Order: sequence, then C-alpha cells, then structure tokens
Amino acid sequence: MAGKTLLKERKAGNLLVSLSAVVAGILAGCLLLIVIGKNPVDAMTKIAQGALSDSRRIGNTIAVATQLILVGLSVAFAYKSGLFNIGGSGQMLVGGVVASIWAYYGQDIPRPLYLVIIILSGAVAGGIWGFISGFLKARFNVHEVVSSIMLNWTALWVIYEIIPAFIVDPKVPSKSAAVPAAQSLRTPVLQQFFPRSYINWGIVIAIAAVVIIAFILNKTTLGYQLKAVGSNRFCAEYAGIKVNRNIIITMTIAGVLAGLAGVTYYCGYSNIIYRNQMPNEGFDGVAVALLGNCNPVGVFFAALFFSILKAGKGSLGAGAGIPPEIADTVIAVIIYFTATAVLFRNLWNGLFHRIYEKRVAGANVKGPDGSLSD
Amino acid sequence: MKKSLAIIMMLLAVFCVFSLASCGGKEETTSTAAATTTAASTTTTATTTAAAPAAEKEESDGVATSGAALKVGMVTDSGTIDDRSFNQGTWEGVKKAADELGLESTYLRPNGTTTGDYTSAIYDLYDQGYRFIACPGYLFEEAILEVQDACPDLALVIFDSNLGDNCGANTVSVSWKEQESGFLAGVATAVELVDGSVGFVGGIEIPAVQKFNWGFQQGVAFANENYGTTVEMDPSNFVYSGSFADLALGGQLAITMYDKGVDAIFAAAGGTGVGVINEAKSRRLAGEDVWAIGVDVDQYSVGDMGNGESCILTSAMKYVDKAAYDLVYAAYNGEFPGGTNELLGASTSDLGIPEENPNLSAETMEIVAEVEQMIIAGDIVVQDTADGLIP
Repeated sequence: MAGKTLLKERKAGNLLVSLSAVVAGILAGCLLLIVIGKNPVDAMTKIAQGALSDSRRIGNTIAVATQLILVGLSVAFAYKSGLFNIGGSGQMLVGGVVASIWAYYGQDIPRPLYLVIIILSGAVAGGIWGFISGFLKARFNVHEVVSSIMLNWTALWVIYEIIPAFIVDPKVPSKSAAVPAAQSLRTPVLQQFFPRSYINWGIVIAIAAVVIIAFILNKTTLGYQLKAVGSNRFCAEYAGIKVNRNIIITMTIAGVLAGLAGVTYYCGYSNIIYRNQMPNEGFDGVAVALLGNCNPVGVFFAALFFSILKAGKGSLGAGAGIPPEIADTVIAVIIYFTATAVLFRNLWNGLFHRIYEKRVAGANVKGPDGSLSD
Repeated sequence: MKKSLAIIMMLLAVFCVFSLASCGGKEETTSTAAATTTAASTTTTATTTAAAPAAEKEESDGVATSGAALKVGMVTDSGTIDDRSFNQGTWEGVKKAADELGLESTYLRPNGTTTGDYTSAIYDLYDQGYRFIACPGYLFEEAILEVQDACPDLALVIFDSNLGDNCGANTVSVSWKEQESGFLAGVATAVELVDGSVGFVGGIEIPAVQKFNWGFQQGVAFANENYGTTVEMDPSNFVYSGSFADLALGGQLAITMYDKGVDAIFAAAGGTGVGVINEAKSRRLAGEDVWAIGVDVDQYSVGDMGNGESCILTSAMKYVDKAAYDLVYAAYNGEFPGGTNELLGASTSDLGIPEENPNLSAETMEIVAEVEQMIIAGDIVVQDTADGLIP
C-alpha cells in the first residue's frame, strides 16, 4: 500500500481481520475433526449441505437467522450506548406471548391488519420489558445485566401462568395452542420459493430493522448521542447529553427489537410457546452481536453465519457419523475462533508495523513519530 | 462494519463453493417433487462421501425400508441422550437392535424443541439415507405429521403419542397405559412403607406424566383398602415442576417434601426427577429413611449411593427400549406396522416395575405380582383420568 515517496504504515482493514478470523475458525474446527479422526473436508461439506443444499434448507436457514438478526441487533444497539442487554430471551417471550394471544383471539381480524397488530403489539410488549431495565438503570442505577436477567425469569414465570389461563392447548397443558398457519407470519409469498420451510415475513422485518437501526446509529442525532453515551458516559453528560434519557430510550428500542424477534419466532418459525422454556436465541444474540462487531450490517451476516452452522449441525451428525455432542463442540470451536477477531487485528497490525519499520529503515527516512500508534 | 460484512461474504462464499461443489449436477426441482429432491441430494451424498455404502443408491430409488441397507436413526427430545430416562431408553432399544442386525445407527439432537427444529433433524437423517427414525415424545407430533407425507418411504415411530386417524401409512405411534405402571408402583410403595406419606414430582403436565401420577395414587389407595396399609397422600405433595431438565428444582422440591415428612417421592420428571433422587440419596446416606421411586426405566442405578445400595424403592417402567427394539426388527424384516396406533399395557408385558427390586421385600413382590395379574385379567381397571384424584 505504502507508496515509495509517502511512507504510511498500513493498518489491518476490517475485511482482512474478519477473513482471517473466519478462516481461523474453520481451520480450528478442521483441526478438531482431524483429532477425532474425521475427514474435515467431508465434514465441512456436510455442514454446507445441511444448511444450503436445497430450497427447504435454505428457507429454514433464513428462518432461523431471522430471530438471530433481531436479537443480535437488540444486543448490538444497546452495546453501542454501553449497555449490555442480556434480557433478549425475556423480551422475546413477552413479545411472542402477546402475539400468540392475538393469534388465539383475533382470528376474525382481516389478515393485513392482523399482521400489523401482532407485529406492533409484540414490539410494544418487548419495548416495555426493555424499558423497565432502562428505567431501573437510569433512575436507581440498577445494573441492566441484573435487571434484564431477572426480567427473563419474570417473563418466563408470568407466561407460565398466562399460557394455561388464556391460550392453552386443550390436549397438552404445557404449551400454547398451535397458531394456525393463516394466523402466523408464514406466507405463501415466501414459501413458494422455499417449499416446506418455515420462512416467514420475519426476514423482511429483520432486514428493515437492520436498515432502520443502521440509519438511527449513523445518521441521526439520537444515534450520535447514544454512541457518545456509550463511549464515555461522563463526557457525554458534560457535553449536555441527557444520559439517563438516552439509557431508557436505548433499552426500550433494544426491547422492541427483541420483542419483534419473539413475534417472528413464536408466530413464524415456531407456532407454539412451551411453559418454562427460555428461548436460547436471547443468548445466542449476544454472540451474534459481538461477532458482528455490534454493527447492524455485521450482525445481519453474523446471524446468517450462525444460522448456517446451526442448520448444518444435524447434517454433520447424520452424514459424517459425528455424535451430536461432538458436532456441537465443532460448531462451538468455529464460533469461538471466529470471535477472536481482535487478536487478528493486533496480529496483523504488529506484522504491518514490523514491515513498516523495515521499510523506513531501508528507505532511511524517518516516519512521523506520534501518528504510528492508534 | 466492513469487517463483519467481510466475514460473512467470505463465509457465504466458502459455503457456496462447498455446496456447489457437492451439489454439482443436481437438478433444480419444484415444490411438489419432494422425493426427487431428496433422492438427488442423497445420491449426491453418496458420490461425495467416499466411504458411503453403495446401498444408499438403492434406497434413494424408492422403497427399501427393510434389509441390511436399512439405516436406523433417532431424534432426541428435549434433554440429553443420557437422561437415564426416555431418550436413553429409546436409544438403547434402537442401538441394540441395530447392533444385532449390523445396521448403521445414529441419533441427532435438534437445536431446540420447535417443530422446525424437529423436522430439520428428521430430514437431516432422511437425506443421509436413514429410513427408520424413532422420535421419543409427544412434542414430535406436529413434525411427524408434516414429514410422514413428504417422505413416504421413511418408517417413522413416535412414542408417547396417539396420532389416531392422522397416523400416516408409514408411521407408528406408540403410547402406554402409564396408569397401570404407576398403579403397580403405588401398590409396591404402599405395601412396603405400610404407613407414612408419599409425594409426587412430575415434569410437565402432559398425559403420560399425569397418567403415571393418577395410577400411582390409585395404587396407593388400593393398597390402603385391600392390604391394610395407611399411607397418606397430601395434595400439597403432588406437584408438577414444569420441567424435565431442572435438576436443582427437583432437589428443592424434594427437600421441601422430605422436610414435611414425606417418606417416598415418585419422581416422574426426567432430569428434574434425578434431582429428587439425588436428594433422597444424600438423605439416606445421612441416615434418614426416605425413598424415591423412579420412572420410565429401572432407575435403581441412578439412586446408587456408592455403597452397593440404592435409594430407589422401585421404578414405574414402560419398556420403551423393548418397543423401539421390536420396531427396528419389524422394519428390518419388512413388517413395519405402519399406520397403526399401538397402546401398550400390562397385558402385553410392556410396562411394570422391575423384576429385581432389592429394596422391596419378597412379600411385597408377591402382592405386586398378584395385583398385576388382576390388571391383566381385567379385574382391576385403572382409570386414566383425574376423576376423584389429586389432579
């Protein structure tokens, strides 16, 4: 990169860092496979096949990615303003149960209106759940990790009672009655391309959310303020930004996103809610957000990546003779190493620095002193 | 931003290359041609996997649900394969039969418990040439209904469910008269304890667990009436934990009950029940005279206290391993009874308490055997509803 005349130290670009992290992840997975005596190429092929080899599988991979995108966005958005939203599961649950109640009682509402209602009500419910955490943080300085984890359980047990009271499956009291296909977000419009899959309108919601959140973060005053609060709360306060207000807004929006994830999960990908079952997606969302560098577009692709691995796992087990527990480990190793992107940034920058120094020495020119380090 | 974008681009690229490479030449098929699609991908598998047996081809052509080419699989319900309960029982049956017949066998653990997760797991097995798949648990019902039509050459088995008229020609649904098994365990418990108090910790309130509970209560009541025992049943000691996998919760419920003076707890709650058993174990080791009663399989070894004794008084079993074993053999011999809803009970020796119960006296075992004969003969009809019982 550096020209002959203008010696500039090269910095590792995002592309390079990401690529190396992903390659490292896959290599680590391969290494593990070799250790347990399996053919890594065969196994990786099986993962790809499991996720992408026919239209049904692609549809399901997208459907699984849908809620991961939304929860990942939720976590990422909160993280931008320095908050850690680990309450995605609870927010999903309340969003999902509200939508399910509409599905149960609102069967006469015309479909377009009905869809708007369940999406909005689910978003509002999730938003309220997020708002509580934000409010407690702003008003009483209760750490949002504590409150949102507690709210997960609150949601779980409230819903434990709501299901038998309002939307129970008459045959099996431990789950809600199945949402009929006509009442769910599943739609022939999308399913014709991905027959027998569980793809639903949720993916459209998710993509819209990515765009909107990216817009808010990058193009609006609100986004600027949120990021300022995230970077340095006290500095932001000093600059006249209302920190507490921003905290509440952030958590509410994070809750809205996770609530939407709940709607797409419980009235789209799935159609029932079990009593006493916390959706894992709330926690997977944290990993997705961090893998996506808390950037909306990054989250989108990270969620797809997660989803491919998840969807490919079964095929890995069935096709390559790898027990599910080992398959889980392989997937975890891939994710784990992919998440070490920061290491690679340092590694590459160190390497570039050394090359740069050599060049400087070779060209016998002095580099600009302070500007080297970041 | 660009970083993550890049990550994924890269990944997608990599995966696309993989899948393109592996799916080269695969014909694009339309929605209706489910079987064709599957067949195509199976064939693809065969070509890409060097080790894949040629038998797969044969299967992808259509019918073979029997013979040495059969590959048998299982998809686990919520919980793990070593839950010492339903999943494990099913797998042991499948595995035993497969090993005896020299068939390839494996199990898959779905990502979650939604219908989508289940169907994905079933298709994963199917697309790799598995033509017999056992699914332990009523949660699979919807998934089975979806898959049975799309994969007509797949032998599907669902346990703990009665699909009724919805049962497809390639599906067998198997359910048990759990109340009879619970009844026998109840009689055994009451006769052995003579007096005192019993409790119940259930998993989720599903019919199978409820029937165990109701049968157990009837068994205890029957013993009180006919064998002079005075065992109490306090409604507050009959609870559902709401989970099959919460070890800690099971332990806490057990602590509460034992502290209230309960002498034996019937734990019909999978992993949660193991929590109950662990509590019973530590109390017995501390010298208290408390018991736990196992469920589904003989859980004597789960209650092993390390000194050769166990805190498991007896277990209310249903022989899911036997059912799975038999069905694998049936499929192998081309006699898979597709389209039937089997209801298994004491009369066909498909449930009961273990033959060896070191913690039960010989007299108790005699009484239980006697009662079992009465059930088989129809002299005792154990109700499978909550009428007049603790719900």
